[in-house]
Amino acid sequence: MKRLNRDAITALLLLVICGVLYRTTFDIREVPFSEMGSEVWPRFILILLSILSVIYLFRSVTQPQLAVQAFSWSRWFKTYQNALICFAMFLVFLLALPYLGMLVAGILFVFITQSIIGGFAPKLLLFHAIVSVLAVGGMWSIFTFALRVVLPAGDLFR
Amino acid sequence: MIENLINAFDAVFALNNLMLMALGVLAGLVAGSIPGFTITMAVVLALPFTFGMSPIEGLSTMLGVYVGGLTGGMFASILIGVPGTPSAIATTFDGFPMARKGRPGLALGLGLWASFFGGLISAVVLVFLAPTLAAIGLEFGPWDYFMLVCFALTIAASLSEGALIKGLIAGVFGLVVASVGEDHINGAARFTFGFESLGAGFAFLPVLIGLFAFSQLLNDMSNTEDAKKPMIAGQHSAVKMEHRKSIALIFLNWMTLLRSSAIGLFIGLLPAAGSSISNILAYDQTKKASKTPEDFGQGTPPGLIASESSNNATAGGALIMMMALGIPGDAVTAVMLGALTIHNIAPSPTFISTQPVLAYGIMVAYFLANFMTLIMTSGALRIFLLVTRVPLYILGVVILLYCAIGVFTLNNTSFDIWTLLVFGVIGFAMVKNGFPLTPMVLGVVLGPLAELNLSRSLSTSDDLTLFFMRPWALFFIVMALFSVFFPLYQSASKAGKRWAQFYGVGFMVCAAVPLMLMEGSFRTGLGVVLLILAGWLTVNKLRLPQRQNP
Repeated sequence: MKRLNRDAITALLLLVICGVLYRTTFDIREVPFSEMGSEVWPRFILILLSILSVIYLFRSVTQPQLAVQAFSWSRWFKTYQNALICFAMFLVFLLALPYLGMLVAGILFVFITQSIIGGFAPKLLLFHAIVSVLAVGGMWSIFTFALRVVLPAGDLFR
Repeated sequence: MIENLINAFDAVFALNNLMLMALGVLAGLVAGSIPGFTITMAVVLALPFTFGMSPIEGLSTMLGVYVGGLTGGMFASILIGVPGTPSAIATTFDGFPMARKGRPGLALGLGLWASFFGGLISAVVLVFLAPTLAAIGLEFGPWDYFMLVCFALTIAASLSEGALIKGLIAGVFGLVVASVGEDHINGAARFTFGFESLGAGFAFLPVLIGLFAFSQLLNDMSNTEDAKKPMIAGQHSAVKMEHRKSIALIFLNWMTLLRSSAIGLFIGLLPAAGSSISNILAYDQTKKASKTPEDFGQGTPPGLIASESSNNATAGGALIMMMALGIPGDAVTAVMLGALTIHNIAPSPTFISTQPVLAYGIMVAYFLANFMTLIMTSGALRIFLLVTRVPLYILGVVILLYCAIGVFTLNNTSFDIWTLLVFGVIGFAMVKNGFPLTPMVLGVVLGPLAELNLSRSLSTSDDLTLFFMRPWALFFIVMALFSVFFPLYQSASKAGKRWAQFYGVGFMVCAAVPLMLMEGSFRTGLGVVLLILAGWLTVNKLRLPQRQNP
């Protein structure tokens, strides 16, 4: 049997999402006296998305695919190493935000992420520290003092 | 009128007013260039400072922020490939590639001067045609809006960059994303899966910035060695704004400038439409009208001119509606309407006649704000260009954090930063799998508008023929159909097929019908002219083969 390619897997994933979402449209509250129920529009666009996904699936399995190397996790990690670092660090930043606040969590996010990608040489560490304090501290000051926007302070500093 | 105009000039050119406007323009430039920090937010933040000012001072300051912000959005789009504001989405398509090819000075110059000329054209129209044009906005019913949105959605096909099915899937997926949360008519929760935070749906800006910022920056940084180089390679020491070349290119593409400004102005006239739609619409129409559509997305000047002139022209259209009818054309003019109300002034159809100095003062201030932005941007450019000399990974990480701060300020909730991350992952995965992002953004922007107007139409009348029989609705159906089949026409034209010669004629005939149905002699006359022109062209085209083969 021909192996499923990436496009076919994406199309199948989209069809599953459409199915799940379509099922949940039956849970949408019915509003009396409304001319157009709240479920009409989502159902219409989900049907449209399903049709497009079927066409996409059909094309992906019928059209000849370019020869690709066998998938390997190590190569995948190497290719997307920096992207994965940024996503992971951003996630940590978000989790730390309620406790450390925007200023401290922001400085730490910038400093650590830059150091992981750029390197840990002493000169670089100093440079990253200066950049993170000035860039984050500067923007935090503009929002806090000039624009009077209250950014998260962090539970640890209250 | 002349006397009122002179009095307005007196009020606007007062020294303290000029200083306040300059401050406003500067604040707008800074705000517009921070991804996630919207112009609306900047104008809202400026609002409390205007309470103690006179109406003309307050509105001049806010207009400075508005126009400055529209231009500031261009900096982030061109230099880092992340649209600073939704009105600069299309600016990234050609501005960023041009900057990356070592021409940031030309890209910024083109963007700046196109913004200036677009603003200028709409300011001239604003002064002379405000009450007349405002009447068009009143002709629009929900059926016409729905068809306008359908027309705008057809752009997803042409923005699909050769991957039509993937582009359409991205567009419809955007519609699905926009339908999450309580619907605007009935208030029933949809696709929330029990999460309270999803009740209000996804805010548009975190979605937009997540999609663009993460995919762009992380794509650039994927190779560690490349990540340590500056964002824009080339002759950095020699980078300067190419004013003369930019102006020459804009004059060379005068048709693009006029068409895009007209589109921007028209969209500005429609309540709740705005520059987030006009820049994409103008870009698409310019690409379709171009003889070299394959150059679009590679850093071609017309693409940049179209986007920047249209978004600034939209501001003029929105102001026309606000002043002549008291209807805000976009969120910013809604805030300005609030500012006028604070000063006990209520714009209405009689506003221009009862408050002539203030009305003309707003027009003059808008005119002046465009000049001020031009001067101040030229001065501030060197600072902005310094940013691109920083190693990519340093800049990229800082920008990601600025995006987080920017989107947090929208609703003061961390949920928007989570949205930013989730859509960052989705955007990155989409780009890696060959899905274009712009159709998805289009779907997110237009989805709620489409649903709202469809629902309003059905609530107003059971008569479905109104979707096809009202002149404006019919006009947009014609536009949508010809827009959808445009790629087919292009390939048929290249292949030398006979029917492709009559595509333009067909469009003229079809567009003439709704124009003739519209009120007023001008549009009816325009329809008749189009019909005559179509007839003349048809006769000529039918005769052509006989001439070639005597």
